[in-house]
Amino acid sequence: MALIELQSVTKIYPLGNQEVVAVKDFSLTIDAGEFCVLAGPSGSGKTTLLNLIGCLDQPTSGDVWLDGQNITQAEQKTLADIRLNKIGFIFQSYNLIPVLTAAENAEFTLMLMGIEKNQRRNRVRQLFAELGLGGLENRKPSDLSGGQQQRVAIARAMAAQPAVILADEPTASLDSQASEELLELMKRLNEEQGATFVFSSHDPLVISHAKRVVRLLDGRLVSDQ
Amino acid sequence: MDILNLAWKNLWRNRRRTLITLAALSFSLMLIQAFHNLSYGVYSAMIDSGVRAGSGHLVVYHQGYLESRDELLTFRPGDLVQRIEQLAGVQAVLPRLYLPGLAQSSRESRGILLTGVVPEAEKKVNPFLRRLPDSEWLDSLDGREAILGSRLMKELQLKPGNKFVVTMQHRSGELVSEMFRVHGVVKTGIKNVDKSLLMVGRDRAAALAGATGTVHELAIVLDKQSDGLQVYPQLLNLVQSDPLLVGLTWEQAMPNLYNAIRLDYASQKFIFVIMMLIVTIGVVNTMLMSVMERFREFGVILAVGASAMRLRLLVVIEALLLGSVSMVIGTCLGSLATWYLQAVGIDMRTFISGTLEFGGVVFDPVLRADWDTGWMLMISFYLLVLALLAAVYPAIKAGRISPAAAMRHH
Ligand SMILES: Nc1ncnc2c1ncn2[C@@H]1O[C@H](COP(=O)(O)OP(=O)(O)O)[C@@H](O)[C@H]1O
Ligand SMILES: [Mg+2]
Repeated sequence: MALIELQSVTKIYPLGNQEVVAVKDFSLTIDAGEFCVLAGPSGSGKTTLLNLIGCLDQPTSGDVWLDGQNITQAEQKTLADIRLNKIGFIFQSYNLIPVLTAAENAEFTLMLMGIEKNQRRNRVRQLFAELGLGGLENRKPSDLSGGQQQRVAIARAMAAQPAVILADEPTASLDSQASEELLELMKRLNEEQGATFVFSSHDPLVISHAKRVVRLLDGRLVSDQ
Repeated sequence: MDILNLAWKNLWRNRRRTLITLAALSFSLMLIQAFHNLSYGVYSAMIDSGVRAGSGHLVVYHQGYLESRDELLTFRPGDLVQRIEQLAGVQAVLPRLYLPGLAQSSRESRGILLTGVVPEAEKKVNPFLRRLPDSEWLDSLDGREAILGSRLMKELQLKPGNKFVVTMQHRSGELVSEMFRVHGVVKTGIKNVDKSLLMVGRDRAAALAGATGTVHELAIVLDKQSDGLQVYPQLLNLVQSDPLLVGLTWEQAMPNLYNAIRLDYASQKFIFVIMMLIVTIGVVNTMLMSVMERFREFGVILAVGASAMRLRLLVVIEALLLGSVSMVIGTCLGSLATWYLQAVGIDMRTFISGTLEFGGVVFDPVLRADWDTGWMLMISFYLLVLALLAAVYPAIKAGRISPAAAMRHH
């Protein structure tokens, strides 16, 4: 069974007294263990799609299935639970809570799940070592580079071992070298730990790293390779 | 790191704003506590001198006397005085007679209320007599010496040592007269008292009116006002044996003083309420601003799986922490202020010349606070409740944030 399934999903936003069709009649299936990029120019509907998959938003029509569960009509509370337990999020920037240290940020979802402190610590220490963040546990986000901040966001996303990690243009605010490193890291986590990644980008360099490229234009699927 | 820790850290993000809000909260709490304790101290002192000069913390009357002041409504106390004196917390029992009549000197006459007292007991308790030298005080229950208010003496154009005549109605209905001598003069500063005070020995007064062995009032003075709660039921027990007698508290017996204090405190309470309200609006503003500033961050927190409930809880805890810290600081400052106001007080002589009179009572020109600890705790608890209420709207606002919209917000 597919991990993620979009069935002729349409998302329309009201904008004043007009409507913006952000995603139109879109169908897509993603399996566990994939490393998939949603590629397309700005405004093509990448963020909208990730929000739909990530239970941050619900479609105007069509169905969204996640891990065998139809979330199209789910309640807010259920959506929050799914986000906590099945999804890891990485945003373009300002991912982290500025008053918390890097380790506390990474522990955040585990804290929400009610996991006990020692266990959280151990998990995060291990993750930090894997992600090349060893020794930065007690730094505040403002004392980390952009690449380091994104890696802390990955640590947070992966801490609870979610079914899928969604990343919306994770490299957009990084320079090319940091982008490269981040992507290599994601790829490694995908290969070594089987973590499923779905991310968006409009950067050809980034897109070239993906195993599967889903191209979008004006909210429609253009190609899927 | 738990939610409390996060709330605490969030509180100090905007250090200046938090400090200002904290200062406003603590300072208001301090003012409210200090002013309340000051009033509490002043009212206590007023009640104390009021009851000592008046009808006591507790009082026994013949049924109907308080309402009608009918001088025929006397009673024989019998052993009631001794039995009341034996109750724990009772400092003194003052048997008194009040007889309306006319005082005449060779030149003037005035209407008076002749008060028959037990000299030893009265002198120890009555604040009007505090400054009267012992040599000028009454020395027997049936002597012809009289103590006059300074104004009354002047109006009768008398001097210490002069004689004057008191005329009143005997029980039998006849008019009777008796001669007295000015022995001592009392100047209280209260016009009414200085104009009408006329004290003589109880037995002399009783004999004159044909009411030997009877009294109008047993004024009971306690060691502490707060003892009234324990002593009053015991007094009622003793008084019950005679259906013609009633036992009352000072609030019932002296409604003027009681109402004056109540009214004065009510206006103060009104100011307290306004202060608390203003401070609460300040907290609402602080919390609302801090929520709006974190719009995007709250979006992230929701996106990674926090429920709206948890976000609301976070905001409420932040406000509660703000309230708790203010509660502690404010109460410390309030205690410090109370301590100062008790030890040093406020000397009203700097502001007002002459005697201070309130509700028919003269009081000490140095206003002093007294500890009302239970009330201090209660009001600081109210502050916490207000902080909680102030967080409700900001918390609802935070809970309504849509993560998708928040993430688009740059
Ligand atoms: N909340 C919204 N209200 C109105 N229009 C929106 C909203 N979100 C997205 N859109 C519009 O939907 C389209 C797709 O946007 P988006 O999914 O952000 O694309 P991308 O991430 O590829 O840049 C754009 O035209 C955008 O302006
Ligand atoms: Mg986008």
